[in-house]
Amino acid sequence: MKGNYVNYFFVLPAILYVIVLVFLPTVEVVYLSFTNPHGKFTLSNYEALPYFGLTHSIIDTAIVVTGALVLQLIIGLGVASLLTRAFYGKKALYVLSIIPLGIATVVAAVDFHYIFSPVGGFANSILKGIGVTPINWYSNQYLEMLTVIIADSWRNSPIFTLLMIAGYSSIPRDLYNAAAIDGAGIVRRFFNVTLPNIKRYIVIALIIRGVSEFNIFALPLIMIGYNPPLLTTLTYEFYSTTVTLYYSYAAATVLLAFIIGFIIIVLKIGGGRR
Amino acid sequence: MRWGYIAIIILVMFFLYPIYVLFLVSFVPPQYTVDRLYPDQIPVALTLHNIIHAIENAELTGALDKSLIVATIVGILALVLGIPAAYGLSKLEEKVATLITTLLFVVNMMPAIVIAIPIAADFIKIGLFDSALGLALAQELVVLPISTFILLGSFQSIPRDLENQARVDGAGIFRALFDTILPVAREGIIATFLLAWMTSWDEFTYAILISPIKPTLPVHIYLYTTRGSIIDASAFSLLLTLPVLALTLGLQKYLRGEYLGGGIKA
Repeated sequence: MKGNYVNYFFVLPAILYVIVLVFLPTVEVVYLSFTNPHGKFTLSNYEALPYFGLTHSIIDTAIVVTGALVLQLIIGLGVASLLTRAFYGKKALYVLSIIPLGIATVVAAVDFHYIFSPVGGFANSILKGIGVTPINWYSNQYLEMLTVIIADSWRNSPIFTLLMIAGYSSIPRDLYNAAAIDGAGIVRRFFNVTLPNIKRYIVIALIIRGVSEFNIFALPLIMIGYNPPLLTTLTYEFYSTTVTLYYSYAAATVLLAFIIGFIIIVLKIGGGRR
Repeated sequence: MRWGYIAIIILVMFFLYPIYVLFLVSFVPPQYTVDRLYPDQIPVALTLHNIIHAIENAELTGALDKSLIVATIVGILALVLGIPAAYGLSKLEEKVATLITTLLFVVNMMPAIVIAIPIAADFIKIGLFDSALGLALAQELVVLPISTFILLGSFQSIPRDLENQARVDGAGIFRALFDTILPVAREGIIATFLLAWMTSWDEFTYAILISPIKPTLPVHIYLYTTRGSIIDASAFSLLLTLPVLALTLGLQKYLRGEYLGGGIKA
């Protein structure tokens, strides 16, 4: 058992690194958010946030997170279930479905900016081509958030897809055959056989992607700027415009609280461990 | 299967179209694309002028250098921290190992923007702000969990006897690691380096907060779009995309749901 200590020693650098660069900064942010520049305890940083659009940014963040997760779940389940069948070009569909992962988020943002731009936008050019009135995608905040949701889902659906593929491949084929013999249709089979079996993969995907959705930053910053505000862009706006750095600590803490809340909720609904 | 084919066609168009648009904006003269109210969907004329114009830009070299240096440091750090961690984990009791991998994955859950602000403030004090090393240290947080996990996977697939044999032959623990284990795990090590490299190459949040003055390529693209030079931005985007696209296709084997799920066993 003497060797055991050596093994801890090997893991130590990684753990120390994580403590110094994640845990200490996180504690620092939460602590500083409750102080003023003179180091005294105060709630004024939080009290100021609503005047800068905190409520608005919380609602918007919730909309974007929900929309993006639903869309990505649909895409991921769709691709994974198609890939369970045999058809010509199956491998090509798989490769295509993970290609967006190879496009940097910044590039995706610039790209979708071209697509949804009111002038010179490719989406409107298509709409006009099929005889539909073009839309000004930046005319109201919900459409703007929709463009962010679509862009984000395009870029990040591969992560859902890969996890759903792992989920599907964990289901014994016999279960399907048995269900089919019992006369269960496609919909019944999905809810009674597929869903219970891939539930834990969905929970994992929702946690991984959900947390990243709360942190969505480059896409909204490039596509829609600071308005409508999300929690991340609001935090960054405080940081970069230096109203006071302490507001950005408070906004960051709010974001953190929402993420922790989200993880707890998903784990509870998903049935927790096992 | 008919609905299946319709779904496949819709999905293929959804995945391909944005890439096609990027191609159009990069290689078609702007008067047919972004300068037009309704851009042409087919390439009526092709030009290399957009790309050449962007490459001739003097600011590009600085950003490219910075991106290359930072990405390489991140790749090396992933191995320097990841290899010992994965080796240790592969030999620890499963309960303890799971606890530690979970801890590493919790790191990924912490919002980059939350961590980056105090890190930026601390880096200013110790002179790491805006430096390649400072940025690499921060970006490493994004890749460390998955790096450790991939390495752990490839170490676990090595038969225990191989190392035991080396130890019996009188090799110390480090000799055994370097001479027996690492050569066998070569493939996983290369994959880890490349994944870390490309994650850093694409990373934006830490980059803009910790290295805003001498920016990396992604931040540079952002600055271009805010200034309105979108043709240059798209040419840069293409430059940024090509290596990563190649790596993504090359590393498919390692882009697996099991790795992404990592330590979380929900």
